[in-house]
Amino acid sequence: MNARRVIAVAWPLAPLVILIALPFNGLNGFLLDLFYFTFTYAAMSVGWNIIGGYAGYISLANLGFFGLGSYVAGLTLSHLGWPILLTAPLVGVVCALVAAVIGWIALRTRGPSFVIVTLAFTFIVQFLALNLKDITGGSAGLYLPLLSMDPLLRGDLFYYYMLGVLILSIAVAIGIRRSRFGLGLIAIREDEGKAEGSGINTSVFKIVAFMISCWFAGVAGAVHAQYLNYVDPDLAFELIIMLNMIVMTLLGSRGTVWGPVLGAFILFPLQSYLVYWLPSTIAGEVHLALLGVVLVLIARFMPEGLLVTLQKLIVRRPPPRLQAVPADAATSARP
Amino acid sequence: MLLLQGLVLGVLVGGMYALMASGLTLIFGVMRLINIAHAAVIIFASYLSWQLLRVLGIDPLISIVILVVVFFIGGALLQKYVLSALIDKDLSLALLATLGVANVLEGMEGALWTSSFHAINTGYSDQTYHFGDVYVPLIRIITFVASVIILAGLYVLLTHTNLGRAIRATTQNRAIAQLVGVNVNRITMIAFGIGIAVAAAAGPLMGMYYPFYPNSHWGWIGKLMAIVVLGGLGSFRGTLVAALILGVAEQVTILYVPANWAATVFFVFLFAVLIVRPQGFFGHVARESL
Repeated sequence: MNARRVIAVAWPLAPLVILIALPFNGLNGFLLDLFYFTFTYAAMSVGWNIIGGYAGYISLANLGFFGLGSYVAGLTLSHLGWPILLTAPLVGVVCALVAAVIGWIALRTRGPSFVIVTLAFTFIVQFLALNLKDITGGSAGLYLPLLSMDPLLRGDLFYYYMLGVLILSIAVAIGIRRSRFGLGLIAIREDEGKAEGSGINTSVFKIVAFMISCWFAGVAGAVHAQYLNYVDPDLAFELIIMLNMIVMTLLGSRGTVWGPVLGAFILFPLQSYLVYWLPSTIAGEVHLALLGVVLVLIARFMPEGLLVTLQKLIVRRPPPRLQAVPADAATSARP
Repeated sequence: MLLLQGLVLGVLVGGMYALMASGLTLIFGVMRLINIAHAAVIIFASYLSWQLLRVLGIDPLISIVILVVVFFIGGALLQKYVLSALIDKDLSLALLATLGVANVLEGMEGALWTSSFHAINTGYSDQTYHFGDVYVPLIRIITFVASVIILAGLYVLLTHTNLGRAIRATTQNRAIAQLVGVNVNRITMIAFGIGIAVAAAAGPLMGMYYPFYPNSHWGWIGKLMAIVVLGGLGSFRGTLVAALILGVAEQVTILYVPANWAATVFFVFLFAVLIVRPQGFFGHVARESL
């Protein structure tokens, strides 16, 4: 193994070591929070990318699962006393099982029904959170028991927890990318008919990808409920969360392992700065509108995302597909 | 008698639902695109109509004419310069672009008109008529009649003009439409513009009927999607029938359960249709579209 190859495989260790070491160097509360949010968004974007990027099915349900995760975790904590940081992975499993049902309804057929069903699902969960007042507390929300510990230590705890979830999400994304399962998903994205023809059970593949995707949204929602010590139908289903997952993935590069991570690490700090800088009366509205503008601009002018675009600029190598056929063979084949 | 009341109000509101959803189904037909921004466009038109009434004293029914022209041009430009390039490349990008447009409109409305709710109040807003035991607010009759007139115009446009024939041909089979000499790119642009213009026409009517606020379009797009799925995506007639069915179902439900639960009617229909018959109940996209 030469040095180049070692770097190519092991480079993620460098930022990882830095991120693990950062809190020991007196990171203040503001920066701890900033990183916590960035990790949360990055993990959810990596999750969204599995169904939205690998398989090419736009899911608007991940926001619904974020909220569902918040409520399931909040309710089990307040009624049964189960600590959220321990139950979060199981809350994710509950979300994945619900995702299987939703996926079964929406993914049996190809085409537009998936986006409709996933959007409707998000509305339904929010609707139930708002209207099942006896269980969820309605619009007043649900106050959760506090984690009693030193505030800075608490910040560290959430920092490392979501860093762990982010590392897991990246590991899962790499694993899927290198497996037959991942190849199948990409085949579905490129040409679902042919994928099915070559023996891939497309329905099962899509549903499993959707379940994995929603597991991460559910876990993030659960942890966030504890972070806020509070759940309500507005915060748990804030549209900007869904928009962020999508814009971050698209900006970084859809369908790549590292794209969503890159997108989150660029966009979240920028947005915090923007919201901090804008007058507070219109900050939320301008934030939403600008994110919408960014989404339209990326879709129109850089749909491949930063990572792929940069790769093309730096490598300057024609894609291998074109190299495989010698130029003269290509011309002589022409009638 | 209560049931008759629900039936009458259901048909009246169903007419407006049909108008709101018909643009969505038209756009899906020619572009295979779910326009997530559709309800946001309607709400935006409601705000503009509110502003025109407030500042210039223009009646909302008159402002429909202005808004239709402006929104047709805006829609056609959006299609030509943003969406058409995406449709050819990757339909999901076009879908995400409409999601972006929805958020731009919502954020802009919030910044311009605050997030508290607005309603379009005209001098005739509060009158109510009684027919035996059935009471009918005047505003509901007006919105229904206006919706029916606009839908009838759209129907004539689609069935009795060359433009309409070209739009229907493009909906049914893009490649063959092109083969027989239809300029499908131009037709797609015009059809998208018409879809947005119809949404603009629905805006003032919706604003007279219901209060609105910047993010209320999310509730509406859910309802509109339920309507177009029940009607069979891309089918104009199907959408009209589905809108009436869901309008009546909603208004009858309101009589028996608290009003906020009536919205579930749409979701129940949506999921039932997708489980039982994913292609909708009124023909199939590829086979029949008008």
